[in-house]
Amino acid sequence: MTRFEELRCEEVLDVLEPWLDGDLPPDEEARVRVHLDSCPSCTAELALARAIQSELRSLPLPDCPPEVLERVRRARGGEVIPFGQPERRTSRPFRAALAAAMLAAAVGASVFFLPPFRNEEPDSEEVARAAEEARYALAYIGQVSRRAGLTLRDHLEAEPVRP
Amino acid sequence: MTTAFETTAARYQKKVYSFARSLLSSSEEAEDVTQEVLLRLWRHQRRLDEERLGSWVLRVTRNACYDLLRKRRAAPALTKAESLDGEDAREIPTAEPDPESRVQASDFRRRLTDALAGLGEPYKSVVLLREVQGLSHREIGEILDIPEVTVRVHLHRGRKKLREQLREVYTP
Repeated sequence: MTRFEELRCEEVLDVLEPWLDGDLPPDEEARVRVHLDSCPSCTAELALARAIQSELRSLPLPDCPPEVLERVRRARGGEVIPFGQPERRTSRPFRAALAAAMLAAAVGASVFFLPPFRNEEPDSEEVARAAEEARYALAYIGQVSRRAGLTLRDHLEAEPVRP
Repeated sequence: MTTAFETTAARYQKKVYSFARSLLSSSEEAEDVTQEVLLRLWRHQRRLDEERLGSWVLRVTRNACYDLLRKRRAAPALTKAESLDGEDAREIPTAEPDPESRVQASDFRRRLTDALAGLGEPYKSVVLLREVQGLSHREIGEILDIPEVTVRVHLHRGRKKLREQLREVYTP
């Protein structure tokens, strides 16, 4: 007949939850059982571990309010693409041509609409307005950078789940 | 008409919301995080492996929650109003225990959720994902980006901390 080497209480307390989960190898499980049969203190601790596990597993998952999905729909402008279907994207040459056209239009517009060049110092009102526009531009650039950072992180997060 | 994306979003939104709510202790912020995660799911759906979508979604949720918690500079404990044993807990069907047992049970649950809320990271996330969300060690490792053996160690320490805090209030 095989005799188990007896476990000490601290050794048993270290494996109570794995024992409950059935994660222990058969021989160790048997040794824990032998100890529990003769140790009221560890048996009480096992009951506590079992109660905690049972209580945690019975905690309800709160429902997500339906408005959230509705907000997602609205955030996407009502456009919904079926899962797995590629998004429509403009081609790179087309986007480059579009950017060039917009730049040309902006330069052309500046010739017609900007005030004629003045060789004099700007007044304080003009300086204040320019400073305000600069602050706005910096804030906008900051916002765009933050979004770009989040997008980059999303891409990095997505990488590990590829097969 | 319900699209495939909406079906996918509906499948994960409860997991995302409940995990975020547990980590943030705020239903409003959990809604915001859920919305953000679903939008990211939308943006990246073409690049994601559908079989491991659950892990990706919860990893993004965890990161979004950590960002928010960092903004707060400290993660406070669950408030009574927002704790996991809040209004939803009353919906659990029970076998009508006697009033004394009911008081003891609810007190035990309250103390447990308080202890869970104050557990600290990474133990809190690991215990939530394992015991509340019912995920495997491997899935938790993928979500938290840690080896499976580390998941087991964190889980062991987290459970032990809960036991230490609940030993006094538990009556078999």
